[in-house]
Amino acid sequence: MRLGFFLSEAFGSMRRNWVMAMAAVITVFISTAILGAVLVTRDNLNQGATSLKNRVLIEVFIKDGATDEQKATLEQRIQSIPEIKSYQYISKDEALRRFRKRFGERIVQNLPINPLPASYEIQVKDANQVDGVARQFFDDPAVDNDPGTHNGVKYARETVRKMLGTINLVGIGMWIATGVFALAAVLLISTTVRLSIFARRREVEIMRLVGATNWFIRWPFVLEGFITGLIGAVVAAGFVWLCNWALANWLESSDIDFLQIRVFSMWWQSGSWPAGLLPTLAVLGAALGALGSMVALRRYLKT
Amino acid sequence: MIVFEDVTKIYDPDVVGLQDFTCHIGKGEFVFLVGASGSGKSTLIKLVLKELQPDSGRILVAGRNLGTLRHRKVPLLRRNIGCVFQDFKLLPNKTVYDNVAYALEVVGEPRRSIRRKVPEILSLVGLSDKTANYPHEISGGEQQRVSVARAFVNHPPLLLADEPTGNIDPETAVGIMQLLVRINRTGTTVVVATHDRDMVNRMRRRVLQLDNGRLVRDERRGGYDQVTEVEEQEALT
Repeated sequence: MRLGFFLSEAFGSMRRNWVMAMAAVITVFISTAILGAVLVTRDNLNQGATSLKNRVLIEVFIKDGATDEQKATLEQRIQSIPEIKSYQYISKDEALRRFRKRFGERIVQNLPINPLPASYEIQVKDANQVDGVARQFFDDPAVDNDPGTHNGVKYARETVRKMLGTINLVGIGMWIATGVFALAAVLLISTTVRLSIFARRREVEIMRLVGATNWFIRWPFVLEGFITGLIGAVVAAGFVWLCNWALANWLESSDIDFLQIRVFSMWWQSGSWPAGLLPTLAVLGAALGALGSMVALRRYLKT
Repeated sequence: MIVFEDVTKIYDPDVVGLQDFTCHIGKGEFVFLVGASGSGKSTLIKLVLKELQPDSGRILVAGRNLGTLRHRKVPLLRRNIGCVFQDFKLLPNKTVYDNVAYALEVVGEPRRSIRRKVPEILSLVGLSDKTANYPHEISGGEQQRVSVARAFVNHPPLLLADEPTGNIDPETAVGIMQLLVRINRTGTTVVVATHDRDMVNRMRRRVLQLDNGRLVRDERRGGYDQVTEVEEQEALT
């Protein structure tokens, strides 16, 4: 393969048809930017949702009068539940220390005894399981229930349910949006490429007449599509990153803290993007351009 | 070089391209194809290039049966056939030099030999001073000479010309014909489809006349029109 010749053909034709090339670059830019924005938003929402879910705690308060045996049974029970991710024992002293830190020294000074119960703070693996796990402690003898109630086990029951519903809905919505925009990007790009090749079908016809093989004709077009896609997608990736960065800065300066926007992790490996979200986007754009050229050429290359 | 055996090509819906066409064109011949528009001249040329498939019959080019020629091999066939068209078919965004060089790039010619061959052929067709021009910057006659140069730069055994002088003035046309004759002298088979009555009459070469897709005349040293006995007698008196 004569890479030099093909590259010079590709660049030459982009220079000559720069209006078309610009149109293609802008198309790729817009569609990848939108796709990227959707993906980044989804990632950030997921991140936010996860951090919200992680804050869903079950607090199990222990009776002051519980025997050591009862306490040991409770701890064993916690250890035996597979849905529990982690737990922490908060002793009466620790509880008081926290209380002091939160409400100040003065209130605590006047207390003759420590009225705060010891407790376990339990985190479950999946926020959807909070309810079921919490129920298992309702009737434990070590739990500090008022008679006839389960108020020794505290968790944000309704809040959790509503929140989970919202997060799941948003998640599904984002998946649909991703699909729609990915499809739109593919269609837009392939249409643009097809238009630019249609404008040059005579050229292709002449190449065939002088005996160029299909690949000989194809390579410059494929390279051109690749370069076009790459430029558009790289600019789009930069743009998405910039927007995200600006948004993160703005959120940080305002006091909305429940959404933690990730800024730098997009360039390299993170979460569901083994090669980083933005590089993936760039490669995707380039591949789409190359593939688009190839598909669009097909009808002109039938011998 | 070219053999047609009972070749029929009907276009949709039922326009006759060629019908039961049989002929044999030998190596090194110079042949005119004449006939009215739509008589099948262009169809014949497209069939030789395997741009079209015949509906029936057999076509051999340089001993190869086009019916059994694989798609992949079609480019190889075309590299052995030089083509000149009425509308020149030059790449509009390549210079004269690059247009000719493209035909060599296609066959994988080394760069060094491209740099040698292109100026050589361009001087043969008399365009040494226009190498850096683009097709739209030169005259029709000059464009056609570029097209001939491109067709011949590979020294193909066969050269097809479809109305090569159709778009240019008569004097320039003579130059183009002379060029084709010179190419023919190097041993290349030349087939020219044309409307140019004067040219055919002057050159007295083999003439194949087509009418509505049928071969109606095959004359060794023919003129453009069939000379009937009546006309000959009239000419005598």
